[in-house]
Amino acid sequence: MNDSRRKFLINAGLGLGGAAAAAGFIPGVGFIGTAMASDLVDPLAPKPTHFAGKVKSVIWLHMKGAPSSLDLFDYKPELIRLAGQDVPASFLRGLKTFTQGGVGKLYAANNRDWKQHGDSGAWFSNLLPNMASQADKMAFIRSSVTVGATHDISILKLNTGDLNPGRPSLGAWVNYALGSANRDLPSYVVLYNGMREPDAGSVNWSSGFLPAVYQGTAFRPGDSPIVYLDRPELRSVSQQRNSLDLLNQLDRLRGLGHTHDTELQARLRSYELAERMQLTAPEAVDLKGESAATKALYGLDDNTSEGYGATLLRARRLVERGVRFVQVVSAAPDNRPEGSADDWDAHHDLDGNHGLMSRMVDKPVAGLLADLESRGLLDSTLVVWASEFGRSPWSESGTGRDHNAFGYTQWIAGGGVKAGSSYGETDAIGLKVTNKDDAVDTYDLHATVLHLLGLDHLKVTYLNNGRSERPTVVYGRVIDELLA
Amino acid sequence: MKNIQCLALLSVLFAGPLMAEEGSPANSVTEKRWSPYETAQKPAVPVVSQKAWVRTPIDSFVLAQLESKQLKPAVEVDRVTFIRRATLDAWGLPPTPEEVKSFAADRSSDAYEKLVDRLLASPRFGERQARRWLDLARYADSAGFENDAGRPNNWRYRDYVIAAFNQDKPFDLFIKEQIAGDELWPDSQEAKIATGYLAGYPDNSNSRDMIQRKYQIETDIADNVSETFLATTMACARCHNHKQDKISQKEYFQFQSVFSNTVFDTKKELAKGSESVWDKQYVEQFVKYQAATKHIRDAQRKVLDPYKDASIQYQKSRYITDTLAALQKPEKEQNGLDKWINFRWQSVSGVNGGTGYLKLVAETKEHPEHTPDKVAAWDEYQRLQKELRKFDDLKPASGSSNYTAATELSATDIPPTFVRFGGIHERPTEAVQPGLPKLWGNATLDIKPTAASSGRRTALANWLASPENPLTARVYVNRVWAQYFDRGIISTAENFGRAGDKPTHPELLDWLATNFTEQGWSIKKLHRQILLSSVYRQSSAERPEAAKVDPENKLLATYPRKRLEAEVIRDSLLYVAGVLNEEVGGPSVLPPVTAGDQGPVDENGNRLWPVSKTTSDWNRRSIYIYSKRSLPYPMLQNFDPADPSKAHHKRDVTTTPLQALTLFNSPLVVNWSQSLAGRVINEAGTNEKAQLDRLYQVIFSRLPSNQERASLQDFLNKQENIIKTQAKDGRFAVAVPIGVADTSHLNPVRTAAFVDMVQSLVNTNEFVYRF
Repeated sequence: MNDSRRKFLINAGLGLGGAAAAAGFIPGVGFIGTAMASDLVDPLAPKPTHFAGKVKSVIWLHMKGAPSSLDLFDYKPELIRLAGQDVPASFLRGLKTFTQGGVGKLYAANNRDWKQHGDSGAWFSNLLPNMASQADKMAFIRSSVTVGATHDISILKLNTGDLNPGRPSLGAWVNYALGSANRDLPSYVVLYNGMREPDAGSVNWSSGFLPAVYQGTAFRPGDSPIVYLDRPELRSVSQQRNSLDLLNQLDRLRGLGHTHDTELQARLRSYELAERMQLTAPEAVDLKGESAATKALYGLDDNTSEGYGATLLRARRLVERGVRFVQVVSAAPDNRPEGSADDWDAHHDLDGNHGLMSRMVDKPVAGLLADLESRGLLDSTLVVWASEFGRSPWSESGTGRDHNAFGYTQWIAGGGVKAGSSYGETDAIGLKVTNKDDAVDTYDLHATVLHLLGLDHLKVTYLNNGRSERPTVVYGRVIDELLA
Repeated sequence: MKNIQCLALLSVLFAGPLMAEEGSPANSVTEKRWSPYETAQKPAVPVVSQKAWVRTPIDSFVLAQLESKQLKPAVEVDRVTFIRRATLDAWGLPPTPEEVKSFAADRSSDAYEKLVDRLLASPRFGERQARRWLDLARYADSAGFENDAGRPNNWRYRDYVIAAFNQDKPFDLFIKEQIAGDELWPDSQEAKIATGYLAGYPDNSNSRDMIQRKYQIETDIADNVSETFLATTMACARCHNHKQDKISQKEYFQFQSVFSNTVFDTKKELAKGSESVWDKQYVEQFVKYQAATKHIRDAQRKVLDPYKDASIQYQKSRYITDTLAALQKPEKEQNGLDKWINFRWQSVSGVNGGTGYLKLVAETKEHPEHTPDKVAAWDEYQRLQKELRKFDDLKPASGSSNYTAATELSATDIPPTFVRFGGIHERPTEAVQPGLPKLWGNATLDIKPTAASSGRRTALANWLASPENPLTARVYVNRVWAQYFDRGIISTAENFGRAGDKPTHPELLDWLATNFTEQGWSIKKLHRQILLSSVYRQSSAERPEAAKVDPENKLLATYPRKRLEAEVIRDSLLYVAGVLNEEVGGPSVLPPVTAGDQGPVDENGNRLWPVSKTTSDWNRRSIYIYSKRSLPYPMLQNFDPADPSKAHHKRDVTTTPLQALTLFNSPLVVNWSQSLAGRVINEAGTNEKAQLDRLYQVIFSRLPSNQERASLQDFLNKQENIIKTQAKDGRFAVAVPIGVADTSHLNPVRTAAFVDMVQSLVNTNEFVYRF
């Protein structure tokens, strides 16, 4: 890269500063071509923020299958009053609906008990008794909207901002913009409870058009979280040490003709990092050292919540070790009865589904917030409760609810967040946002998360196919009302 | 999303690269203003001083610029380096010691020509080129999204591409077949399979909004065609008039409308007599399965039939309002768009409505249509389903008796295309007719409908494949150039527009493009010319004096070394280990991820990665590995492979500890190292020095230096001692060489150390890079 170009970019305010330029990343331009491959040598070097960030890490709790806000956080007495009746036409105006079996009667579940909690007086149903105790940490976004009527499309949008695969996920952007704070671990980790990877897989933690180094690393359940992390069965530590020494020696002998080749040197270093990762990664997910009290806090003492609780406890341990972005995808409890829910997608038997799923997440999420606080980590961590969409106020098949992208609740908690607050609202039956100007779309949520990390979503840019791309596509606004 | 800052953003950001071009060294060479949108004229070959260096016209163009900067080209590489470089480039595999020896010893005047012709004649050339083309075609064996359903006959398109490169199919024909094979050659199955290029879009069969889906599909195709063939990034113009390149939003949608009448039939019956050996195997197995399960499937049909109408009605009711309206129209009232929607519904849902309705009403006691007969029917159906699953092993493991092709439903009743405000599918404005952006040389589409088809794609294909098209040939020769020299003459291979980079050697680009079309669009001739140039023979050793003048090596005073691509690393490992299965073509294969790990399962207990039963399939070239969008093959995933979501133009090179873990710890690499050790012992005998020599020749095409030999001996002694010490603990299990013919003289401890050494060697930069 010639000097005039570098100067121009920095002067134009597009650069993240000299450190980033030296690392070869020019926001707005991206990589300068592989003749400059040496610039790629340290793509995960820590990079400065645009302004002082409030948090260092994000725990992104994706509630897969889409929980019903109307049964957890969004108390709608009018819906309860009108339950069993047709949806008044005024509410449906301008909406394209798509409920299998037709739009049913308005629906309110049985035995739902609503109370206000904390100083903030946030409403919680009796499905979330433990999370309710953390009410004053949360900032509710009651006017969430999105696009799509199908899970996978909207999940993709929730993570990447696009309805088609190919864009980087939010975690990848964060990884790209900030680099790694702990080189002995991947800086963008994906966790899930249960034994199988989330459906649709890696497109939801893909680096898209960013270099692959920024993609999420899915940690597997069990002691050894990364594929190929462990020494092969028949190779001892001493054997490995000796083998790595040989490799290093031979590479150095041969590298004589390329003394300035930082890429080749980086490849040598990558083996040292790998060796360290062999020790740090299993330790990072090992819960043996956690006290019984901590384990109970996360619900590890309960059959239904133990799997998800262990996942969130791992998330805390990763954040403690400097991992930037932990994306946790919820599944259903491993030991659930046959035929019960796979995820939050309650098209029928909402009571059974949400009873089980709430019990799975309630203690762990509450435990995570309390634990982060008691360890002094809540100020430097952002916890996001996100879902691909919400659920309809009318019933599907008599006992369930269909998808609803027109208005639903998500929340954030942690550093820089206006704790105990609430933003936006849906109409009286919880179908759609009342004021379109308050609508919080995926891009707005992403912009806000980036802001809390100290990043201006307009300045996190990467040149792809001649087009300057940013995490929020061409949209996005930081929701100031959610910030402390 | 309140504020759309799109316009401001673009105007600020695009100022960056554009202004940065000023004063860049490459640009000052161009005297007259060069434009990619004017038909290329063959330029005169420049006159150079160092005439002796010139082997091909290519060399004159490159040398002229070097001389203008007072630079000399790099020294020529020796023959061993050359054959290694050329073989890795052309085949994606290293040369054998015998090939190296014979080339080094060949004193005939056309030794290089013979070598290059041999490389280009091998089917390995087609496999290597096809992989690069499949990157652009966003090829995968599954559809993506949540279900990530398999596309069991997509491999036919992959094999079509391999064959096209191996037969040196003229590139213009290659284009026409892929864009409009079904219209141009309705009787040619091969040409129709070629339209699998268009059909490669990611798709989710369960989308409830088919009008949105149709728009997404057309967007994918339009964007892919414009990037792949025309190096034009049009996507911006979908939402607003393009700020950089003069493409209006209207022109964007005119281009997209070329595809508005296209549907994809994924179940076309193979023509009688065209069945390959895999197809015959498939049919044979399928017939067995069908015969064994007929009674069960008939019984299931009988159970479901009384509820068929209700099931179809229920199934359709899941769709969003306007899709549903189209699905409910009687056939004779359907317009073009309705027909498109109904065709898709049939292909994604089948015509019987499935089991969703019966399951729901049987299992939901509160459902108004819940009745005892439905409960009984559902129980019976499930019982039969369990019975049926007992025959799963009898099902063909892979393949199909069908192929996928583009087709159209009518020549005249064509779904209209609208400009969409802000690109938003729910905000159509003005209806548009097919056309090309003026930017592309003011060309028009000559559309002539056929009996069954709109003729739109034919018109596009003819224009794309015309020698007068200013972009097509330039774009492709630039891609081929980038294969060898890491960057294209225009380094943004996907964008020749104003936001892309300027050409470093515009005259060379034009010369290559015009020469390409003059030579009948022969891809092999193009490669041959580059492989035989002096530019390609330059050493990759560092040249500080040249780097000072040209730090980005734009002028090519040094040959750019590069890390091997993901597939080349794996294929080379298998190849040197002597276990690569070089069978060409056929259904994709699923090698194990790690030894003993059968991988994750779906909710029905089906393996998401059902490992191929035939173990010889595990060692096929990587291009044949099943490309599953949701589950990229882990061994390749860390080495910057193509992402099949969109056209993938350039393989990045990143360096990560996960790569190190993969090559150092994967049980597969351990296994191949054992095979490689066994191979070397068989070929070199028991003398350790001979073994080391042979090993180095096999993996590095050279002999070890004395210093290296000493390091290796030290390592073996030390590792032997380590292993011996471990054996004292009572545990004695080591990874020994595989396949050794005569084991009587082997010391298992020493050979285990040898295996470890082999694995360190294949982890070196020298093995993983091409110099």
